[in-house]
Amino acid sequence: MEKQVEVPPGLIHFAMLDDVLNMARANSLWPMTFGLACCAIEMMATGASRFDMARFGCEVFRPSPRQSDLMIVCGTISKKMAPAVMTLYDQMPEPKWVLAMGNCAISGGPFKFPGQYGIVEGVDQLFPVDVYVPGCPPRPEALIEGILKLEEKLRGKRCFPTVEAQ
Amino acid sequence: MSTEAQSVRNETFVLNLGPQHPATHGVLRIKLTMDGEYIMDADPVIGYGHRMHEKMGENRSYAKFLPNAGRMDYVAALFNGHGYVGAVERLAGITVPERAEYIRVITSELNRVASHLLWLGAFLVDLGGFTPLLYCFDDREQILDLLESVTGSRLTFCYYRFGGVCNDIDEDFVPGTRKFITRLRSRMPMYDALVTKNIIFRKRVEGIGLISAETCRKYGATGPVIRGSGVAYDVRKIEPYSVYPKFNFDIPVYSECDCMARYKVRISEIIQSMRIIEQALDSLPTGPVMAEKVPQALKPPKGDCYYNVESARGSFGVRIVSDGTENAYRLKLRSPCFSNMSLFRECSKGMLLPDALALLGSFDLVIPDMDR
Amino acid sequence: MKLLPLKSKFAEIAVRAALPPAAGAEATAPVPLVMDAVHASKGIDLDVTVPSDCVVEAAKILDDAKFMIEAITGIDWLAERQIEVVYDFTHVESGERVAVRARTPRDKPELPTISNIYPGANWHEREAHDFFGIIFIGHPQLIPLLLPEDARFHPLRKDFTT
Repeated sequence: MEKQVEVPPGLIHFAMLDDVLNMARANSLWPMTFGLACCAIEMMATGASRFDMARFGCEVFRPSPRQSDLMIVCGTISKKMAPAVMTLYDQMPEPKWVLAMGNCAISGGPFKFPGQYGIVEGVDQLFPVDVYVPGCPPRPEALIEGILKLEEKLRGKRCFPTVEAQ
Repeated sequence: MSTEAQSVRNETFVLNLGPQHPATHGVLRIKLTMDGEYIMDADPVIGYGHRMHEKMGENRSYAKFLPNAGRMDYVAALFNGHGYVGAVERLAGITVPERAEYIRVITSELNRVASHLLWLGAFLVDLGGFTPLLYCFDDREQILDLLESVTGSRLTFCYYRFGGVCNDIDEDFVPGTRKFITRLRSRMPMYDALVTKNIIFRKRVEGIGLISAETCRKYGATGPVIRGSGVAYDVRKIEPYSVYPKFNFDIPVYSECDCMARYKVRISEIIQSMRIIEQALDSLPTGPVMAEKVPQALKPPKGDCYYNVESARGSFGVRIVSDGTENAYRLKLRSPCFSNMSLFRECSKGMLLPDALALLGSFDLVIPDMDR
Repeated sequence: MKLLPLKSKFAEIAVRAALPPAAGAEATAPVPLVMDAVHASKGIDLDVTVPSDCVVEAAKILDDAKFMIEAITGIDWLAERQIEVVYDFTHVESGERVAVRARTPRDKPELPTISNIYPGANWHEREAHDFFGIIFIGHPQLIPLLLPEDARFHPLRKDFTT
């Protein structure tokens, strides 16, 4: 039987400082302006008036991967596009998070069929994903909920109330 | 020639624009050969959003392809649906009830307004002005509310069925649409003051990106691109489909051939679309919204046919070749963005890079529609 | 009506193509060459079938008549071992549509390019090359357009498997 190796969470761990940093990170996520397909329009709608992502501290869309820490993969990743997506992920500085928005980014969605030749069936085949937001496309509310989930993951607790379905 | 002169002559470099670039609206890549700020050659590399729609049309039944139609040109999804159901109806000989055709026209034109509003916001972001986007999205959300109440989705509508539409409009839709039109009419002067009269905007688009009518013909460019070059080509007028002949509307044409002309065409089209919607609401007939006896497993007779609609971006065509089975033998989707984009190489030669981005924005590209 | 003078010009190609084949050449089945189509049921006004080496000539006729190129479509007829290519043209003023069809053997699909007459055909031909592997002779840049740069498969052929 293989010996279980416990991986330390970080080389040096400052309990209080990490909490403070994570709180800062959670409330100022900088997503990358990175549209792949249909979901990008809903991402734009989330950032624009009415839904206004700025209320949750992540409206600063950065066109460059080097300035952003959240990659919202919104759309189908074709096999031709996959190397470029990988490069973008590699170019983002640590710490970084990935949010798979829409069924295409989760599993290939409606474009997955036997004998398909063009798409990558889910972005988690390329790199790890933190939050999945299903929908085709997900509504802006769903994307906001996904971002709140990511904030919850970062801070360890949720600071916005959940809305119960009526 | 001395070596020094040669080195000056060869001082060009290759610039990769995209596939991830905020000005390319998605996943378009352009290989630019630059001489300083001037473009010597631009080779668009497309296909980063290729989603196998034509293959999927062949390996599933006609009805199962319907959701795909809304995912090609997702900004103006209803037109693709209209083109596809129109082609199948033509092939199978299905007549559509008049009320359904009216609803199709109303929803399509609402979608056209939404698409042009989105374009307006995105185009101005390309040119460096962020504020109009917020106004445009505000208006666009109103349309999406209306369309959501009848189609059930916000973006990738799958509303049209073979022989009609899937559900009738509700009692709130007609007054809601009228209210929206009144609201948008009152907002048009604001857009005019905010954008059209803005001197920075005008300097960026007037006389920039000239496309002649002959170039449009040779490349098959349609929609606002050809109408901004002085040709009144609009499928709704020239080979009328659906119930468009019943309405009184104009085809906006501007002959300046520049980005400003294409901008003006789209703004005028918003006003014309509102005219069409109002007329259709006034004369909306009663009756069923679905044809009777449309089989679930549709098997059109052998043969092929072509159907064209005027999408928000130009002429969207569908060619279906049927072999008499439940699946299409071949489904060809002629997307307007594909043809419009193909003339970029010729027209961008010698342009400044920022001007080329204005030209690119004025095409109103939707990449997965181009790549299909 | 812009179609009447066109019809006679296409008929000329038709007559030449209908001549008995030269000695040794394989006799091909005669095809209906120029057909009127009903716009209401077909979506096109004129349906022309030309031999594969006459597409350039047909494109020239349409270019002179100021037609606009709409699309180029391949259709794989597996049972007949042929690939059909449909060129769609439309007139920007009258809205009349002409479809020009040509067939080429499936094992060696070759057609002359019309991209020097209609530069817009460049991309459409590259797309047809991607999907069906049709070689357009004389094309300036016949490399994959929609598929990855290194793609060597033709997905819309009926016998395509991944």
